[in-house]
Amino acid sequence: MAEDINRDPLAGTGALWEALLALLPRTKEELKLDLSEKVERSVVMLLQEATELFYGGRRSECLQTSEAVLDYSWEKLNTGPWQDVDKDWRRVYAFGCLLKAACLCEASEDATTVAAALKICDMGLLMGAAILGDILIKVAAILQTHLLSRKRPAQGPTQEQPSTKKARNEHVSIPDMKSERTVPRLHCPSLQYFRKHFLVPERPVILEGVADHWPCMKKWSLEYIQEVAGCRTVPVEVGSRYTDEEWSQTLMTVNEFISKYIVDEPRDVGYLAQHQLFDQIPELKQDISIPDYCCLGDGEEDEITINAWFGPQGTVSPLHQDPQQNLLVQVIGRKYIRLYSPQESEALYPHDTHLLHNTSQVGVRGTQCDMADSPPPHPVSGDQNSILENPFPWGCSLGGCAVEG
Amino acid sequence: MAEERPGAWFGFGFCGFGQALGSGRERRVLSPEPLRAPGAGLDVYRVSASWSYTAFVSRGGRLELAGAAGGAAGGCRDAWASEALLVLLRAGPGPETGAELQAWAPGSELRGEPLWVHTVEAGAEGDDGPGGKPQAGPLPLLPCARAYVSPRPPFYRPLAPGLRARRLELGAEHALLLDEAGQVFSWGGGRHGQLGHGTLEAELEPRPLEALQGLPMAEVAAGGWHSVSVSETGDVYIWGWNESGQLALPTRSLAEDGKTVAGEAAGLHEGGPDVKSTAGREDGAPTPFIAVQPFPALLDLPRGSEAVKASCGSRHTAVVTRTGELYTWGWGKYGQLGHKDTSSWDRPCRVEYFVEKQLQVRAVSCGPWNTYAYAVEQEKS
Repeated sequence: MAEDINRDPLAGTGALWEALLALLPRTKEELKLDLSEKVERSVVMLLQEATELFYGGRRSECLQTSEAVLDYSWEKLNTGPWQDVDKDWRRVYAFGCLLKAACLCEASEDATTVAAALKICDMGLLMGAAILGDILIKVAAILQTHLLSRKRPAQGPTQEQPSTKKARNEHVSIPDMKSERTVPRLHCPSLQYFRKHFLVPERPVILEGVADHWPCMKKWSLEYIQEVAGCRTVPVEVGSRYTDEEWSQTLMTVNEFISKYIVDEPRDVGYLAQHQLFDQIPELKQDISIPDYCCLGDGEEDEITINAWFGPQGTVSPLHQDPQQNLLVQVIGRKYIRLYSPQESEALYPHDTHLLHNTSQVGVRGTQCDMADSPPPHPVSGDQNSILENPFPWGCSLGGCAVEG
Repeated sequence: MAEERPGAWFGFGFCGFGQALGSGRERRVLSPEPLRAPGAGLDVYRVSASWSYTAFVSRGGRLELAGAAGGAAGGCRDAWASEALLVLLRAGPGPETGAELQAWAPGSELRGEPLWVHTVEAGAEGDDGPGGKPQAGPLPLLPCARAYVSPRPPFYRPLAPGLRARRLELGAEHALLLDEAGQVFSWGGGRHGQLGHGTLEAELEPRPLEALQGLPMAEVAAGGWHSVSVSETGDVYIWGWNESGQLALPTRSLAEDGKTVAGEAAGLHEGGPDVKSTAGREDGAPTPFIAVQPFPALLDLPRGSEAVKASCGSRHTAVVTRTGELYTWGWGKYGQLGHKDTSSWDRPCRVEYFVEKQLQVRAVSCGPWNTYAYAVEQEKS
């Protein structure tokens, strides 16, 4: 491709490209990699070369170089336990994703290309770490908007729009619950009361009325989720329980997840589970709040993690112990939850679980336990709007009764 | 490798840093090419390739580096290249002093001082190979076989006194050891089944592979997250991560690209718990993909070939047969399989270049994303 020597190397056509350029640093000198010595010198060289190629308008070479950066950092991300992977390797991966996605969009603005670029951004968000002021989130937002603004053609044979189909909402039998052992329900207790009677003595409680005014309670539906996040790639667990042999994790768009595992009599159980969806898709984060009760916990406010669970009825999380205190908010649907107190834990025995997985970023979900001679659990059925406080170290087993949010 | 016929090294795969692989004009070479300088013109007997550079050691003791790290040196008996460290085994200053182990920063161009130096005791060397060539049990195993070198601290790692190591190979998270009796040991991280003990647990100390006990092995090779051993009778055993088909077992990622031959018996004899009994073929039933093989599986090479040598890259495997053929499989995106394209393969595939040129492959040495093979002209009958 002949390039006019006087032409700005980054000049491209199309509004999308202009919007992306506006997000990126204007020159390669302004693109600060800021990588520590943990990152090998050769990789830094290659990444610098990639940025030079990018700002020099040499797109296909930049793509090749970024690809090598991605492949090498991917290997680092897969070496050792995920929590031990150096953050800078994840940032290298994110830089590779950024350059690759940008190069793709420079070439073309058609839906397939933009969807591919969005997927790459999502990989950078899922596996990478924040770079250049969370630029990948901004890029993803632009790409998602671009995809929505066009009349969305079918993205592939398995990705038809299921917008008119509703999720199944059949009547499901709810397990019987003896009232003397159910978890107490309180309406908006004060912080002091909550702390004194539940947090400190480590007792579970259901809080009512706390999340009533969260926008998600009114806004969230399958259609809304698809509109805001349909093209985004998320990790999905396939299989009834994560202790099963058939269980696996895979990546797919939210649209694919909904059409394959939520609506229309799904063949397998698919579960978007324990994923920090709101970090990946800030538009959804605006629909929720952090309850004030969270500031009573140990640790800093920025150590609060927010996970999402999204699945059909019939999902089961086997008995496990969460490593942190947590609040569970049920937005759509119902959940049946069994809790076991620490005093009962002698009847529970942990077993080794080893997750065979192809993606490395999902950590182990606490310590899994089996029940021996089932001591009577403390059952609780969480309805919409209710918040369950689950103190560590109570063991928790969850069963989804219907479509959940 | 004392050969009467002239031999040469060939290379293929990733050369994005200019690592002397043939023409190397693109970032990758898809089919074997004779090495260009500095590898060419040297009587190279050892090739050690890291991701961004390659070290060549000649029989005359000359070391040459190509790629992101440059430089040359004399008096070298062995070299081991990694991104963090270049480790050299050099002759000591005098005839009585033993060899010296030196670790250099790859970017140093071998100028200045090494990062550290360790003296290996004189006379404590492995058996010399045929032709009197020093077979100082290649690095990272030290000649004394009492210790090995690691790219991460602690760099000098002693082995337990009871172990009589013949050969040692390092993967991304694990180590394989072959002892004098042909027994294979493994230790380190095991999350991808690369230790071969049937679990995903890590092992702190060398643990013998029970599945291979009683089968004397001749060779071991470690990839990024997989392991290979070759028995004295030429059988190949393989275990670990199969995400790109590097175990020559059906892998989901290739099936989705339409490249696997799942459904054919890909030579898997020892079914582990990961072999899904929900067998499948093109009739729509699910296929038995194997992501992780946590203990050794016997692999049949095509044509009943016997293996004599093996080497692994990060995610690919290369095996030399007794009759001088080279088979490769696994990740092929950078041409490291040598099949003239960038496909990955989950079954053994012969590198036809050597057959076409009537060359017999005698040795193979893989870098993370490339492959070097030593071949001689075929005997004229």
